[in-house]
Amino acid sequence: MAAEAPLRARRPALRWKSRPPGSATTARRTAADRRLGYLLVAPVLILLLLVTAYPLIYNLWNSFHFVNLSFGALPHKFVGGQNYTKMFTSSAWLAALERTLAFTVVSVVLDTIAAIGLALMLHRKFRGRGVLRAAVLIPWAVPTVVSAMLWKTMFDPRSGFVDYFLGALHPSWASITWLNASVWRSWTVIFIADAWKNVPFIAIILLAGLQVIPTDIYEAARIDGAGTVETFWRLTLPLLKPALMVAVIFRTLQALLVFDVIYIMTGGGPGNSTQTLSFLNYQTFITSLDFGYGGAISVMLVVMALVISYVIVRAFRPRT
Amino acid sequence: MAALGAGIALLAAACGSSGSGPAVSAGAKQTIVFAESGLGTEGAQTQTAINGFEKANPNIKVKVDVLSSDSTTYLAQLEHSFIAGSTTPDVFESDVTYPAKFAQAGWVLNLASLHPDMSQFFPTEVAAGTYQGQTYAVPWFDNPEGLFYRTDLIKTPPTSPAQVVSDAEAAMKADHSLKEGLAFEGAKYEGAITAFLTVDSAFGGKLDPQNLNTPGNAAALAWLYDAVYKNHIAPTAVTGWQEGQVQAEFSSGHAAFAINYPFVEAIPASQEAPAVVGHIGYIPFPAGPGGTPGSALGGEMLAINAKTAHSAAAWKFIEYLTSAPVEVARAEATGDPPSLPSAYTPALYAKAPYFQNVKVLNGYSQPRPVSPNYLQVSTDLQVMLSSVFANTESPAAAIAGAAPTVKSDANATPSS
Repeated sequence: MAAEAPLRARRPALRWKSRPPGSATTARRTAADRRLGYLLVAPVLILLLLVTAYPLIYNLWNSFHFVNLSFGALPHKFVGGQNYTKMFTSSAWLAALERTLAFTVVSVVLDTIAAIGLALMLHRKFRGRGVLRAAVLIPWAVPTVVSAMLWKTMFDPRSGFVDYFLGALHPSWASITWLNASVWRSWTVIFIADAWKNVPFIAIILLAGLQVIPTDIYEAARIDGAGTVETFWRLTLPLLKPALMVAVIFRTLQALLVFDVIYIMTGGGPGNSTQTLSFLNYQTFITSLDFGYGGAISVMLVVMALVISYVIVRAFRPRT
Repeated sequence: MAALGAGIALLAAACGSSGSGPAVSAGAKQTIVFAESGLGTEGAQTQTAINGFEKANPNIKVKVDVLSSDSTTYLAQLEHSFIAGSTTPDVFESDVTYPAKFAQAGWVLNLASLHPDMSQFFPTEVAAGTYQGQTYAVPWFDNPEGLFYRTDLIKTPPTSPAQVVSDAEAAMKADHSLKEGLAFEGAKYEGAITAFLTVDSAFGGKLDPQNLNTPGNAAALAWLYDAVYKNHIAPTAVTGWQEGQVQAEFSSGHAAFAINYPFVEAIPASQEAPAVVGHIGYIPFPAGPGGTPGSALGGEMLAINAKTAHSAAAWKFIEYLTSAPVEVARAEATGDPPSLPSAYTPALYAKAPYFQNVKVLNGYSQPRPVSPNYLQVSTDLQVMLSSVFANTESPAAAIAGAAPTVKSDANATPSS
């Protein structure tokens, strides 16, 4: 079953290649096909340009201008790199950058490890596997704001079940204030809520990757005497690399832009200790209405996302 | 976030030309749009008032635009309309901290040409609607935050901050159903600032962005810190409490004292623990040496969109909503305290005796800084308070660290 997928994927390519090469009819046909192709994707392309490219370009323009809507009457004059200078010298931005990168590294590593475990489990044959595979995606389908509110309620020291159970284990744990009363406890809850939401999605991507690994190589490995751990490190993990790359890119970008879970659970507190770049950007845009400075922070986030994605792609590229 | 910014900009571009048309006289047949956040009883009472207004002014119809009940979202919704240059809402409800910001941006109408009689309102709230000497918003209702206490547990109201602590400790010893001596808003949000401001003047403090690090402010902050970490009359759970949770703690009989808004007194007895019913005292926070009794000003105001073509009708509507009979009807139905001292009459007290306490607190209530940059100042203050309530910084270090940032943000201009 798992070995069939690559064969199916090759079939269309074989049919395409079966045309007689070099004939004028084929060339005309190819050009017409290409035009039709462009025509068919044009509406979506235009829509994408409107909703993605326009904001990006407009934001880039803003980042080099004074655009503070609190001063609506003032002209949006060109200020050069002033917004960027302000950003790079801002202690708030540097602290938020540090927190965001730390959160990204820790959550990507922990979530990926958890997702690999979950994917391996879901890959095994057991009763109720289909139901579990569907159920595991439920957290991912729940909007982040809703899941953050759920976790916030669960960790509430007065009405949450977490302290209720902890209190059953030890009386002094019955009323622990998790959010905004301690930096590490606040981060712990944020990591848990974030992982609950995102691990299943990563696990499903990895599960798809596991399913295309041919089973015969496992049989060969078993015949050669490879143990479970050795098989995992020397066969599963290398063959999972393409899926792992996609999963890590997705997860990294999500973590880099983390906002809603923090907005709901801590509001960036205690103090500013859970304030990330996206949260700072929200405050700059929405509270201060400073679209120039906010634009610079956004542009930097996009640059970071591109650079990190490139590094991940390079890191996962097969060595020849 | 970039897409959001550009989206708002697009909206502005799309509606940018929609400036105000020729002014429509108050006598002409017209419809005005009123933006408010009221739901439930408050929303219903607003509709009752609108019905009365439309009956008295048959040519003017009022269309209600109910915006979010979450203050941050409400503000964003209003701002998006203004940034887009929309002529609606014609008239809108505004928190006491918004008018200066709106006035600086040119989004609200200077009311000078309409000759409002501001002397009829409580002066502290009038100040909140004034920017650079001009009036931009009219007080609608006035919410002074103060100290609630259980009269069955505390027989005589405390007369000093130290007595609040000793009374709370005694109450906790006497009544084991209490979970805390004091509940207050300690979450990282605007309410933490009003809780601090309620205590502040009792220690001689003043919430002045130009001079935050004063002995009075530091003492007030230290008192709140000590309440959690030294005297243990308040739990660390306050770091997650907004006014709703504080009210729930007090109404359910878990707290001997609570710092909160007057709405706590208007909670129906059916939603209170039996021990609390009929045992609620409400006073300004008692003054310590060198201080004055403390109360923080909250409340809502009414203002007119600078681009409206219906300013005359909008003003008539504001005059109607802020007239004494309409304010009294609202107070009786919803518990929203009138902004007119003249509305506090024996007739009102007969129906809702607690308004006598509210009137007393109105005499002490202190406004938050009136500044177009208040939201940035608020963010700085929230960070300071959150650090102290979480015990990640000492009160002295937090206030010393926040003072320069608060000053700089309060004074920020486009060129800085």
